[in-house]
Amino acid sequence: MTDVLRILIAPLVWLAAFSAVYGLHGLICGHSIEGVVFGLPLQRVLLIAAYSFAVLLQVGLLVALYLPRFSSTSTFVRFVSHATGWAGLVATGWSLLPVIMTSYCV
Amino acid sequence: MRALERHRKLTAIWASESGLKSWFSTVNHTDLGRMFLVTAFFFFIIGGLLAMLIRAQLATPQSAFAGPEIYNQIFTMHGTIMMFLFAIPTFEGLAIYLLPKILGTRDLAFPRLTAYGFWCYAFGGAMLLIAMVLGIAPDGGWFMYPPLSSSIYSPGINTDFWLIGITFVEISAIAAAVEITVSILKYRAPGMSLDKMPIFAWYALITALMILTGFPPLILGSVLLEVERAFGFPFFQVDLGGDSLLWQHLFWLFGHPEVYILFLPAAGVISTVLPVMCRTTILGYGWIVAAAVALAFLSFGLWVHHMFTTGIPHMGLAFLSAASTLVAVPTGVQIFAWIGTMWKGRPELRLPMLHLLGFFFTFVIGGLTGVMVAVVPFDWQAHDTAFITAHLHYVLFGGFVFPIFAGLYYWLPHVTGRRRFFRLGELAFALVFIGFHVTFLAMHWVGLLGQRRRIPTYAPEDGWTTINLISSVGSFVLAIGIGMILIDVVLHALTATRGRRNPWGAGTLEWAMTTPPPAYNFASLPQVSSREPLADDPDLAVRLAKGEGYLGKPRNGWRETLTVDIASGKPDMHVIYPANTRLPILMSAVTGVFFLSLLLKFYWTVPLAVAGVVFLAWKWVWILGRRDDLEALPVGLGVTLPNAAMTGRSPGWWGTVFLLTANATFFGSLLFGFAFLWTVAPGWPRRSGSLPRSLN
Repeated sequence: MTDVLRILIAPLVWLAAFSAVYGLHGLICGHSIEGVVFGLPLQRVLLIAAYSFAVLLQVGLLVALYLPRFSSTSTFVRFVSHATGWAGLVATGWSLLPVIMTSYCV
Repeated sequence: MRALERHRKLTAIWASESGLKSWFSTVNHTDLGRMFLVTAFFFFIIGGLLAMLIRAQLATPQSAFAGPEIYNQIFTMHGTIMMFLFAIPTFEGLAIYLLPKILGTRDLAFPRLTAYGFWCYAFGGAMLLIAMVLGIAPDGGWFMYPPLSSSIYSPGINTDFWLIGITFVEISAIAAAVEITVSILKYRAPGMSLDKMPIFAWYALITALMILTGFPPLILGSVLLEVERAFGFPFFQVDLGGDSLLWQHLFWLFGHPEVYILFLPAAGVISTVLPVMCRTTILGYGWIVAAAVALAFLSFGLWVHHMFTTGIPHMGLAFLSAASTLVAVPTGVQIFAWIGTMWKGRPELRLPMLHLLGFFFTFVIGGLTGVMVAVVPFDWQAHDTAFITAHLHYVLFGGFVFPIFAGLYYWLPHVTGRRRFFRLGELAFALVFIGFHVTFLAMHWVGLLGQRRRIPTYAPEDGWTTINLISSVGSFVLAIGIGMILIDVVLHALTATRGRRNPWGAGTLEWAMTTPPPAYNFASLPQVSSREPLADDPDLAVRLAKGEGYLGKPRNGWRETLTVDIASGKPDMHVIYPANTRLPILMSAVTGVFFLSLLLKFYWTVPLAVAGVVFLAWKWVWILGRRDDLEALPVGLGVTLPNAAMTGRSPGWWGTVFLLTANATFFGSLLFGFAFLWTVAPGWPRRSGSLPRSLN
């Protein structure tokens, strides 16, 4: 089962991060969360912080999947878990990129 | 023991009852897989006839063929039947029939659960058919959007039939998903590690996990909508304090993964059949597995692209638009792997291959129009037009029906033990291919000209008359083609001559048995050392029949098999299956009483039905209860294994884990619903003192 988890973990974290950032955006808009931090709107800061955390988490997972301590002994599982690890990282970077590029709550 | 004697003994142990009785008491996966498939294709015919009625209605402007009320029922039932009563059960039937054979074992993990799932499907489907015959079928479209489906605009029982009937049928899907997941992870031939699993098993595993996490949001939505309709609780109706968009979120949280729940098993069929047709092995096995996993997860991040026109903020649209474009990447990986497989091998244009080529041509077009509608500005123009109807048919017919027809012709000699005699299939394929593209290319066109989906009629001055007529003619050609395929299959099953084993020269284990398959599948279980055991050892079937594998000596009248360690495929437990019983059909009938009571609002029978299910569930586990502990038993080839019931990680434990996964998704969706209403519905939660109308 650990090998199956190695294959699934990065996409699973992407799904959680995607839902969390989408939900955070909804909460920010729905409950009129406002303010200024470091000269930037609080809403944008919160969204970028969540995005950065999600990307860092994916990078950490990918590194772990490459480390002998956490990687599988099976060549096949190692290969597939590395591929899904990269898929998780790319999906997080791409699908949440709008927090930097797009207007919020409009 | 001689092979024939072994066969007789095993048949006596594993056979279903004879005659009609066997239908009600069988727990054998081969029987139940066939029953699933026949029932699913019965519903396919009904759904197809409804499609013909739709096209007859739209063939001419201002048609009086069907009035709007009946037309609403026709298109709603067409979508509902095709998605819930044909497509998903076809996957379930195929997986139930095939998996134990392709994995090298004797049955699925929980044979009685397979039977229970089948009967829930049959009874739930029958409820919807009866509603249709009585003229009170659901009429709110297959995605049942409130407020149209709320009690204000749909006060009749029609919508309740959908909400309750579909929930009943979904029990079958959840049961099959638990069954398939545990079977693939634990019930494999010894030596079949994860990297040696047939590619179809990977696809089936991913699909089953998607069902476990994709169906609960819809079950929750159906429960909430029914509770709102019956008792006035506020969830979707704005004047009660709810928000109708919550339904759309819950529905599409199921509905978009559903597209991939249909495509992935079809992709499994393609990845299995294509290399055999090309006389080679699949290219990029590892890449395909990784792409399928990525595709499954990405499909859960696309649901809002069905809701681009509902006024969602730009950033929300951008998230889902980005994810929607990304999904083309893993799909592309699989398509290129299949093209590479054809390049690597020597393709033969046999009948399954024709359908695979039909898949390539059709699905790629459907995928490209999918990328078009993933782009928000285009979607705003095309939303709710016939362009979308055409796109979804290209995806579903191209991505599911063509591969299933390929699989049908590929495994038909396995099911019947015969070889094709009549050559109707090639002509039928040509009619299906031409008819399909004439119908739905025209539909793209008329959609871009502004024809909305689901309209019962249109005016001559709209300028859509000729295109609709062409589309309707194409659909009747398509129907004739499908009819010919079904006739071809029936002729094959009844009249064709005996065929030889493994007519395609395939390397997977389902061909290492006599055809049609015996009830026990393998006289002894194989030890596997590659993905294509039969290609490595062409005499494997004979050696297994001679009892040279595991469990080659029948004993104590037990239905025996063994399980393996998930990753390595090392044998780890000995399993004794239950025998034939009518308990599953009885339990699904009592479950049906529960749903019927809700439908007909006989609430006093609900607790009786619940008590009946609890009693039968107790009986279910009790009849397997042994009074003595089994010691470790020899299973052949010098291996001794503990009985599964004596271990802490029995198949039942694994089944519970995956059922709890579905439950967790259900309650997670409930939390999402709470957060959604709390955020977007100003009148929710309801203030104290204003109770639902049922409690006033």
